[in-house]
Amino acid sequence: MKHITTAITLTILAGLMLCPLAGLAKNVDLVTLPARDSVQLTIYNSEDLTLVKETRYVTFKKGVNKLQFSWANTLIDPTSVTFRPLEHKDDVELLDTVFPGQKPQHLIWNVQSKFEGQVKVEVTYFTSGLTWSMDYVAITDPDETKLHFRGYVRVFNNSGEEYENANVRLIVGTINLVEKIAELARRRGIPVPQPAAAPAVYEKLRREAAADGMARAEMPAEPSARPPVIVKEGLSEYFLFSVSGQETIPNGWSKRMQAVEARDVPFDIVYRMRAFQYGPRPVRFFIWRNDAEHKLGESPLPDGQVNLYRQLAPPAGGGDGSVDGLSFLARQQIRYVPIKAEIEINLGPDDLVVYETRRMGIERLNFHFQAVSGPPHEVVDGWDERTHWVDTIRNYRTKGIKFELRRQWDGDVDYDSEVATTLFDYRTTETTFDIDARSKRQYPATVTVHFGANATQQRVKLKENAR
Amino acid sequence: MRYRAFMIILAGLLMCPATGLAKNVDLVTLPARDSVQLTIYNSEDLTLVKETRYVTLKKGVNKLQFSWANTLIDPTSVTFRPLEHKDDVELLDTVFPGQKPQHLIWNVQSKFEGQVKVEVTYFTSGLTWSMDYVAITDPDETKLHFRGYVRVFNNSGEEYENANVRLIVGTINLVEKIAELARRRGIPVPQPEGGKEKYQELRLSAVHGTIARAETSTAPAGVKPPEIVKEGLSEYFLFSVSGQETIPNGWSKRMQAVEARDVPFDIVYRMRAYQYGPRPVRFFIWRNDAEHKLGESPLPDGQVNLYRQLAPPADGLAFLARQQIRYVPIKAEIEINLGPDDLVVYETQRMGAERLNFHFRAVSGPPHEVVDGWDERTHWVDTIRNYRTKGIKFELRRQWDGDVDYDSEVATTLFDYRTTETTFDIDARSKRQYPATVTVHFGANAAQQRVKLKDSNR
Amino acid sequence: MRYRAFVIILAAWLTSTASVASARIKLAALPERERVEIQLDNGNYTLVEEERIVPLLKSGKANNMIDFSWSNTAIDKDSILFRPVAVREGDKFRPVKMIKLADGTEAPEVNVINVAYPPNENALVWEVYSAEACACKVRVSYLISNLTRTFEYRALADKKEKVLTLRKFMVLHNYSGEDFLGAGVWAGFGPKFLKEVNQLDDLKLLMAKFTEVPIDKTFTFDWYTHGALNPDKPLASKILMHYRLTNDEKHKMGEFPLQPGKVRIFIEDGHGGEAFLGEDLAVLTPLDDTMKLYLGESRDIVCTRIIESNQRHAVRGNLCNQEIVIKYEIENFKDAPATLRMLEQLNRLGQQYFGNTHGDVEWEKGGKTSKEIRFDYEFGNATPILLVDLPARPADKDAKVEKVTVRFHVLLKNLWP
Repeated sequence: MKHITTAITLTILAGLMLCPLAGLAKNVDLVTLPARDSVQLTIYNSEDLTLVKETRYVTFKKGVNKLQFSWANTLIDPTSVTFRPLEHKDDVELLDTVFPGQKPQHLIWNVQSKFEGQVKVEVTYFTSGLTWSMDYVAITDPDETKLHFRGYVRVFNNSGEEYENANVRLIVGTINLVEKIAELARRRGIPVPQPAAAPAVYEKLRREAAADGMARAEMPAEPSARPPVIVKEGLSEYFLFSVSGQETIPNGWSKRMQAVEARDVPFDIVYRMRAFQYGPRPVRFFIWRNDAEHKLGESPLPDGQVNLYRQLAPPAGGGDGSVDGLSFLARQQIRYVPIKAEIEINLGPDDLVVYETRRMGIERLNFHFQAVSGPPHEVVDGWDERTHWVDTIRNYRTKGIKFELRRQWDGDVDYDSEVATTLFDYRTTETTFDIDARSKRQYPATVTVHFGANATQQRVKLKENAR
Repeated sequence: MRYRAFMIILAGLLMCPATGLAKNVDLVTLPARDSVQLTIYNSEDLTLVKETRYVTLKKGVNKLQFSWANTLIDPTSVTFRPLEHKDDVELLDTVFPGQKPQHLIWNVQSKFEGQVKVEVTYFTSGLTWSMDYVAITDPDETKLHFRGYVRVFNNSGEEYENANVRLIVGTINLVEKIAELARRRGIPVPQPEGGKEKYQELRLSAVHGTIARAETSTAPAGVKPPEIVKEGLSEYFLFSVSGQETIPNGWSKRMQAVEARDVPFDIVYRMRAYQYGPRPVRFFIWRNDAEHKLGESPLPDGQVNLYRQLAPPADGLAFLARQQIRYVPIKAEIEINLGPDDLVVYETQRMGAERLNFHFRAVSGPPHEVVDGWDERTHWVDTIRNYRTKGIKFELRRQWDGDVDYDSEVATTLFDYRTTETTFDIDARSKRQYPATVTVHFGANAAQQRVKLKDSNR
Repeated sequence: MRYRAFVIILAAWLTSTASVASARIKLAALPERERVEIQLDNGNYTLVEEERIVPLLKSGKANNMIDFSWSNTAIDKDSILFRPVAVREGDKFRPVKMIKLADGTEAPEVNVINVAYPPNENALVWEVYSAEACACKVRVSYLISNLTRTFEYRALADKKEKVLTLRKFMVLHNYSGEDFLGAGVWAGFGPKFLKEVNQLDDLKLLMAKFTEVPIDKTFTFDWYTHGALNPDKPLASKILMHYRLTNDEKHKMGEFPLQPGKVRIFIEDGHGGEAFLGEDLAVLTPLDDTMKLYLGESRDIVCTRIIESNQRHAVRGNLCNQEIVIKYEIENFKDAPATLRMLEQLNRLGQQYFGNTHGDVEWEKGGKTSKEIRFDYEFGNATPILLVDLPARPADKDAKVEKVTVRFHVLLKNLWP
């Protein structure tokens, strides 16, 4: 049977016949809001915020109707509750909303109606305790040329309320809140609900969940044969993921569903050496894009953890086909990836690619002197220091690699190298190499730094032939 | 008429043996008072009470006893003088018996036998007065209806019925407070009445008093509020309330003292960040003179509640401001600060800064010269927007620190050595711009601490 | 209607003074109120005005004594005003008129003579003169505390974010200890409402609704305020999204200044429902000013700021100029075009690459500045805003997003350490 228990709505009798007319004339017409007919949840990732939209059928009489709405043990923000009619819109008007002081978690709507009869209305409000998160699994082929990419969304329900047959939507993006919902709710005096912890309750819930599954099966709709489809669309600066169909998530439970899948995604491998950003060893990156060329590009990818694996090649002699193991490559949090933007996974240093840098010689030249009284009559107050650097990169992999080197320099620097070098910014030099499998490359450079009175700038200047 | 405060002690003549207490044989208590005048001083807790009584004297020395209980009277201030038969009646001395606090005995020599009208004066404490004002402007804010009320508080411990009341405006000098003087003679400060029965009893007597007045006076009950006559007295002003008032102990009474209808006033907006804050502030200004329907007397310190009558059909009041005003002499200005107005907006913007007129000092070694003085020239543009349906008068003052040269195409004057001042008339629903170029001299270039206006400005 | 807060003192004690019944006792209790108005236009003081119809006797030997007492300590005793407004003639009311007195002066036909205040009580007694016996309409007004109001807004944007509907709500907080049934409530602007406001209740009502308000959606990049976006992108910074609404007629508003309050912003989701975009606290917005609502970050626009060159030129002695070229690389991954506002805080730039700037910097635009950049000086000269128009992300699935590269060549003049 269908469960109608909802913690949110209390039922209070009309009281017409119980209270004397004189004293409580006001309460005579107070009607409780009936149970909800349908519910939609829109869950925001960045804040603990969910927009709940319910529809209910309310019977109005002509004139002013007082409707009471109450909630208990749930974190609803009272300042966010709205009411609007979906039918007979011209006949039904909300006059005002009263929040009675003595009754916390209650409100009363004064609604003026020209229509007598049943009207479908929509009630929306913000609640807290429902969150979602994203995680990804990427598996490359043994040659590390293509990967199989999947993204999963997981919804957590700690709101204190059971949500059955709810239509679920997830918002990707960072919104601005000025006060947290939980705070607003607590201000009106209720404690934060705890998820069901005791085993007896857990068992009860499992039974109910199963019963519910069966109940759904009893209903005319077909049971789901496939995972729900998640439709993605843009809304202002945010993306809306709508889970098709309806989900039931009991209080305290969470549910994980596949949201994104792409097969045979091509990707690039790049090595970057930037001591100032990544440390003393070159670091390996797998890079691809969230676009059609890379079998993606339907929607942005929300922040989430990526687990990256490589499929191991079957043994040379064939084998029984069950050696289809995985090798774990890296785990990384990625940040929000817009459509057509790059995705970069940092795999860390690679033992098979080695970078060394060596200072080969130092000279001092171009001295500037300042006159002083008494011996020695002149003192050095400016000079140049010229250093010869040689960097060596060794690639022990069975594939050629792309290697990018950036170095940052402080002070007034003149830079010269026979290898083509550019300036990434005013103090950073940049060079890229293609290094064949099992070979090495050398990169010599001459760097002259001006000190003391010789120093007039704070930047790197490339020698003419280097640009 | 019963007076709680004065204990009536029987002559005792008949009760005490003639031998031992011959002195007390002739002790006569002062009869009840016939009339009383109160002069209440605003600045100190001080009231001068002047009573008249009818005393029957015999030839020779008369001992008159005067006592007070539960009231703060300064014993050192009590005086006695005959109003009739002045040549025949003489006060010999005054005794303050040690065993009997709140008592004194006058030894009066009389050649006349019979009833004599005498005057007793003394200082007491516990009566104070305060002033408050209500001003209501018309819907267009061009004229106002101004009323001042004086409220007399009676916490003296004594009932005052049918008293003639006068109020002194001004700050006098006292060397000791009355309350201190009274306490020195050992009585506690009286508390105003509490308790329901007492309250009812008092209300009864208050009304009773009014009725009594109705009975005794032939004139009809007050048709108008009592008139308050105001006259100057040395550095002070005396407000005399016409007729007589009854103020029971613990009560206060509020009476209209000043009224002026159709008082014209000016509205001025002032923008002075250093004094009033970051937004322009609105003032209603008028004068205590005949042109403004006032000018009869100075206006004492008091709280002003300012309202505006709303245009019909609203027919109600809007509350504009509440402010304490200080003593306003005759012909002096009255200013009420209404605070910022959402419909008048002031913005100031720096449009650009330039550096010029560098002064260098030689140093040894590179770079051989260093900057030690310069001028900074900034262009300011102020914008004032008036969203009201009337034109406004706007006064802008800005304070500048340092050696400043000031130039503006709009006429500007100097309020003081470091403050520039400009006034604007801004029409309804329009805006004005005020550009200025300010050059500040720094370092070796700074020789002054003042603002200098460019000649074209003066 | 019974009003809990006002104690009515009957003239019952008439019996106790039977001995002086020969004089007419004109003590009356203040009748119940006919009408109440609550004025909330002054943010600091709430004025309550009540209207009552008081029967007055002709003043012969004594005047009317009218008793007013209340148990509510939120009423400011010193602010109570009693104003006779009209007198009943037939079945209509006419204004109080001035009459000539025996001594030739003029006075109103109904006039307050004085007010007496008993001790330790929330009560007072008015002595009122009345030329004739009449029913007089009287206004009693006073300031009451703990009856305050705050404002809230709800904005609903269309899906394309071109226009929105702004609703302004007033929330009345009644902690004054008084019930107001059928009170006229006025906020100082907009319409007047007839409401029932009970004690301890909060009452929320719609004050104004502005439709078709054009939205100016802005994206702002401010390197020196927000710093690096994250360690992976150390040279990019946050892009903040704002809705800017101008309070004037051109933008379908401009009726009155908008009071401070919390604004919640929603958008139509295209399926008949709404999604929440974010909220912000609005400050006082006078007419013609702009309300800036911060909604959150836009992560579909990425802007990276690179200092391409940094050169110092000596002028004289230790006086120098500093020449800097800032390169911006911007990618717009949204499916709509956008204009990016980049704030350059030149004083901070000068401090970072030179040192002490001795106040606001003096600067000039250099020749390498990209022509596509438009300059705005809303924040003054030292913090220019660089506006760059960005095309939408290409609709073609295979097309790449073009990186828009612009340069700001700035010469900071007349600096010395």
